[in-house]
Amino acid sequence: MREIQVVTTAEVQDLVLRAIENANVARMPDAQLAVAPDAPLFGAGSALDSLGLVSLLIDIEDALHDHGIDVMLSDARAMSQKRSPFRSVAALVAFIQETAPSQP
Amino acid sequence: MNGTRHVLITGASRGIGAHLVRHYLAHDNVVIGCARGGAAITHKRYTHMCVDVTDEQAVQTLLGDIRKRFGALDVLINNAGIASMNPVALTPFETARQIMATNFLGTFAFTRAGLRLLRSSTAGRIVNFTTVAVPLRLEGEAIYAASKSAVETFTRIVAREAAPFGVTCNAVGPSPVHTHLTDAVPADRIDRLISRQAVPRWAEPDDVANVIDFFLRPESAMVTGQIVYLGGIG
Repeated sequence: MREIQVVTTAEVQDLVLRAIENANVARMPDAQLAVAPDAPLFGAGSALDSLGLVSLLIDIEDALHDHGIDVMLSDARAMSQKRSPFRSVAALVAFIQETAPSQP
Repeated sequence: MNGTRHVLITGASRGIGAHLVRHYLAHDNVVIGCARGGAAITHKRYTHMCVDVTDEQAVQTLLGDIRKRFGALDVLINNAGIASMNPVALTPFETARQIMATNFLGTFAFTRAGLRLLRSSTAGRIVNFTTVAVPLRLEGEAIYAASKSAVETFTRIVAREAAPFGVTCNAVGPSPVHTHLTDAVPADRIDRLISRQAVPRWAEPDDVANVIDFFLRPESAMVTGQIVYLGGIG
């Protein structure tokens, strides 16, 4: 068994922001995603389409895995404009903390 | 395909699944098989994992274990399936629920969890299982065929969603093959079914493997969202 490590909100946020930076490397100059804790992620004000969101979330799952946290980021509200847990960096960070196995 | 190909096969303990395990081991792949029961095969390149395909959490854990142990997955073959041949009027609700759970939700659970690893493959492949009972609309197989109709539509749409990751998704629909599944069907029913085929004979497990081999070829990158039935049905 892999040891579950303590991951703070700040660490999860940092991990999400780095994943967005990595995604930007492959994105066109006019389709760059904002890299900020209060940035929108999916929906109005973001250049991310559903496929881009799937790729980004799987990249984030991979990064979480490297921290000893195995989660699958799926939610019935994923495509909701108002209630999606993926609508903003802050909402995603909160969702990951809710979804991830309880930290010691 | 560079390096060793990692193939995951569900329903690996018997029937077509067990045959596919042997087939892909014989072709130098690393094979991971899973089933509710234990392994039917021992081989240095074979790993067996026990799982109920309808247990979402267990499926997720299994894919996590594959990732930790092998770090790669190139092929997912969603072979696990169950059937119950009864007229609708005589089918218990619980039987219908179990068939949908194993055949459709099991395929969904493995596909969702498997895509995460498959997208890193240079030739990611998903192969699902349907049946000639879908195009033949066989009486007595309404629930089984409906569950496989769900798999067919799922296959066609996953093909579109997985394409950007370089992963194809296709399905094979075997005509009757001698397995525990067809053993439960009266012989005269099977004979009538086979007589409707363009090639009116029992299919062999190798006939199924041949279609899957085609889907798995690196050259088949443009082949996705397809349903191929054996025997000239469809």
